[in-house]
Amino acid sequence: MTRRNAVIALALAGGLALGAGVYFGQSDRWAGSVADAGQSAATLLALTLPDPAGKPESLGQWQGKVLVVNFWATWCAPCREEMPEFVRAQDEFGGKGLQFVGIAIDEADKVRQFGEAIGVNYPLLVGGYGAMELSRSFGNRVMALPFTIIVGRDGNIAHVQLGPLPDTKLRLFLGKLI
Amino acid sequence: MLAASTATAQEPRLLEPERAFSFSARALDATTVETRFAIADGYYLYRDKLKFSLEPGALATPPVLPPGKVKQDAFFGNVETYRGQLVLRLALAAPAPGATVTVKAESQGCADLGVCYPPQIQKVTLALPAAGAPPGAPVESAPVKKTWFN
Repeated sequence: MTRRNAVIALALAGGLALGAGVYFGQSDRWAGSVADAGQSAATLLALTLPDPAGKPESLGQWQGKVLVVNFWATWCAPCREEMPEFVRAQDEFGGKGLQFVGIAIDEADKVRQFGEAIGVNYPLLVGGYGAMELSRSFGNRVMALPFTIIVGRDGNIAHVQLGPLPDTKLRLFLGKLI
Repeated sequence: MLAASTATAQEPRLLEPERAFSFSARALDATTVETRFAIADGYYLYRDKLKFSLEPGALATPPVLPPGKVKQDAFFGNVETYRGQLVLRLALAAPAPGATVTVKAESQGCADLGVCYPPQIQKVTLALPAAGAPPGAPVESAPVKKTWFN
């Protein structure tokens, strides 16, 4: 390689390295920073929201359970599609301390109708912008749905999932936590 | 910062909704506004969730929405979606040459990665051209901040 080409190659490599460093530095701009495992779920457990009939329910009542809090909406197709799997898991592990809670960013009537249609066997609560803002504090930077937080019996975050939560992954975590 | 914790999931790369569903508009003349959604690859909008309005003023008729791509939804049946560029003309009820008007677009969309965004409201404020004047330049609802890297 000529000296000139060597200098060019070196400059290119340096530029790439600089670019790569900046990319990784900005990677959370794309990936979305998420809550670290072990972070306290205190603010989540402090939440009180109404059920579709308007009765307020505090998430704190489920402290000590393995709590799976799923943010969803009837206007979110991927959210609706994964809920039957949650119903099955609640059935299977409810007796061992698993508690699903759905927080719908939605209208109460639609939440109730959908819950009845697929036989949801866990509490469905109705949230609004405040609930979405809370999900943002746990890493839901773009405020998209579904967004699921798994809390261990110790009240700390075990896992945060933006997007659908595959059954295999759910069971992997339940296996460790229950 | 680099995602360091092995206990957290590999998160999907997701755009902010203003980038995934970038909205702009331009005034063609005193009675017509052309709107554009530039929908990023891998994202789509629902046809039945699109709504346009003006502040102040009114539209002559609701805009004609082109047919979208039909998607089978297990719960809602057939839904139509849009991808790529969506260009629509809005006809103002009353011509207002030289006036300032705000176009409001309501939309709701999702990503193929498997998430949906809440309904979005995007606004663009335009000056309508005077009679005989050429069309205005496009105005973006959320201009992308220019940095050295984009």
